Amino acid sequence: MAELKLLHMYPNLLDLYGDSGNVEILKYRCALRGIDLKVSRHIIGDRDTDFEGMDIIYLGGGADLEQQMLAEDLLSCADGIKAAYEKGSFLLMICGGYQLLGQYYLDSNGEKIKGLGLFDYYTVASTDKRKRCIGNIVIEADIGGEPYKVIGFENHGGQTKAVKTPFGRVLAGNGNEFSSSTEGYMEKNVVATYLHGPLLSKNPKLSDHIISYCMTRQTGEEFTPSAVNDKLEEECREVLLERLLGEK
Amino acid sequence: MSIKNTFTIWFGKLLVKVMKLLGKGAGNAPGLILWTLNKNCLKAFKVECPIIAVTGTNGKTSVTNYLSHIFASNKGKIITNTQGNNLDTGICSLLLANCDMKGRVKADYLVLETDESHVPVIYSQLKLETLVLLNFFRDQLDRNGEVETLILKVKKFLETFEGNVVLNADDPNVARLGKANPNNKNIFYFSVERYSGATDEPYEVGEGKFCPFCGTELVYDYYQYSHVGRFHCPKCHFGEDKPFTLIKNVDLSAPSFEADGETFKTAHNSIYYMYNLAAVYTASKLYDFDKATLHDTFEHFEVNNGRLETFNITGSELMVNLAKNPVGANMTLRVMNEQAGEKELLFVLNDNLADGHDVSWIWDINFSIFRDVTRVVTSGTRAYDIAIRIKCSGYDPDKIVVRPDLDDAMDELFKNTGRKFAIANYTAVQPTRAAIKRCKERREKNG
Repeated sequence: MAELKLLHMYPNLLDLYGDSGNVEILKYRCALRGIDLKVSRHIIGDRDTDFEGMDIIYLGGGADLEQQMLAEDLLSCADGIKAAYEKGSFLLMICGGYQLLGQYYLDSNGEKIKGLGLFDYYTVASTDKRKRCIGNIVIEADIGGEPYKVIGFENHGGQTKAVKTPFGRVLAGNGNEFSSSTEGYMEKNVVATYLHGPLLSKNPKLSDHIISYCMTRQTGEEFTPSAVNDKLEEECREVLLERLLGEK
Repeated sequence: MSIKNTFTIWFGKLLVKVMKLLGKGAGNAPGLILWTLNKNCLKAFKVECPIIAVTGTNGKTSVTNYLSHIFASNKGKIITNTQGNNLDTGICSLLLANCDMKGRVKADYLVLETDESHVPVIYSQLKLETLVLLNFFRDQLDRNGEVETLILKVKKFLETFEGNVVLNADDPNVARLGKANPNNKNIFYFSVERYSGATDEPYEVGEGKFCPFCGTELVYDYYQYSHVGRFHCPKCHFGEDKPFTLIKNVDLSAPSFEADGETFKTAHNSIYYMYNLAAVYTASKLYDFDKATLHDTFEHFEVNNGRLETFNITGSELMVNLAKNPVGANMTLRVMNEQAGEKELLFVLNDNLADGHDVSWIWDINFSIFRDVTRVVTSGTRAYDIAIRIKCSGYDPDKIVVRPDLDDAMDELFKNTGRKFAIANYTAVQPTRAAIKRCKERREKNG
């Protein structure tokens, strides 16, 4: 049986918006293709985590307090995560995970949390705690060379700036900053985004893209995931796109 | 009474009258208008009887209904918001409707369900005698902010509060508030001893894994549900207070529990319901209600109103329970699983303002525990989201039927006879009850 390895970082701290659902969805969609997704965890204090051996590294979102708690531990993992990224592991980063991979995060109390510095962007939280980007969001992203509407929900005070290669173009919602035109950050093996909901629940093509990327990387052969029953997902997308974009 | 307060009451009373003349039920509007004009309008009321407030994430409405029922037992006059209009404006409307032209509110007790975030603003203006604190879970995050923010709000209020505090010793988020005012001697913890469904490891997501005083990870002897259980901090001994009420021998099959050496039969049997009763028992004890009233209430009283409410429709029995967060939904799934034999589930999920627009919390519901669920019907504005969530837990998608319209959903659900359960979130619960009643009428008419 084919096998992929996913590292879920700080699942006990970063689980604010049902983000562990992304792991459940990947595992489910892998299983439908006869792939066993092995999930391991990294929690604060773990010293022998094998980052480079991972196909997918996953970091979810948390509240400011939790992000402060883990910032130091995350920095101690910087070399490992960087090496894994350079060797081609897929990084899936949501909300806080997205922010902490950049240069820094200046939180709503003015406290500066140093990021991993893997990418150039940085995040500044609005000092008015009530001013947040909250609501349904639809972006258009390029998934495997094709435009694909990614649907999710955003809830963040942080405004992320200096993003060179965004995940997508905002069709409805806020994105990286209040009323911005772009959302998230993307490279061939990185999706970093504010979208939860969780992200993968309404975007099966994105889940399959990640699985395909990992399988192709592992086997050296182009992997095409077999078609599966996505009736519920397709109908859900139809209903939501109509509601959020007025599409028929 | 100051001129301003007199004017506030007169104006409010006038509003109520005008609304009535216009043929509108007064509802929440007078309170809303008054509150908008004068943020201190609650100070205009003169309440001389004890006020008992009930707050917490889950169980507020049920506990308020139980307490009102008990407090009304000796023919007392109770003013209460049993329908759950629990914000500042709702309580303001309630008092307006029940006061005289001088703002005097005449009753024996006020029993007020109060939204967590509104406790400080309301009870800085009305003199509170007893605050009942049930639990703090994640609830509608995009509306309320994080749980911690809410806890800190209530804590700040309690720092200068000297009245009675009835609180859950088994929820670290609540138990910590017993220490908010070290000078307050009127702290009454309730605790429930380990029950048969408790687990050594956490079973569902929860909050508060770390000691709020010293940051050390809390150690649990067992978990009753979510993060509620017997915990303590190994470093600073938080969680070792002796409870005022200790509920023992919870027997889900009887169902019954034991308190102060007496066995009480109960109408329902889930653990979160037992915690609600523990709170009711403790608050009633502070006011010396006799045991016979408590026995009778616990055994026979039903809140209904979508809280463990049962309907019988042409040979089928349907139990409806409100669930507005993962903990509530997980509890209903437990109740469902404890029922032997095959059953069908209806899940109604809305994403209206009062629900919180974000439905990602459904991914924190543990559906993998499904036992003998032969079919799932989903409905509501987010019918597809919940369908996908259940599917990805490994449930056969061919057994999931999506019917966004509630009447369609009922027709679908009652295609087969048998045991059924319904979970509905906040704005879905009343429309669900109405749709059940319509379905019942349709079926009875058609024989």
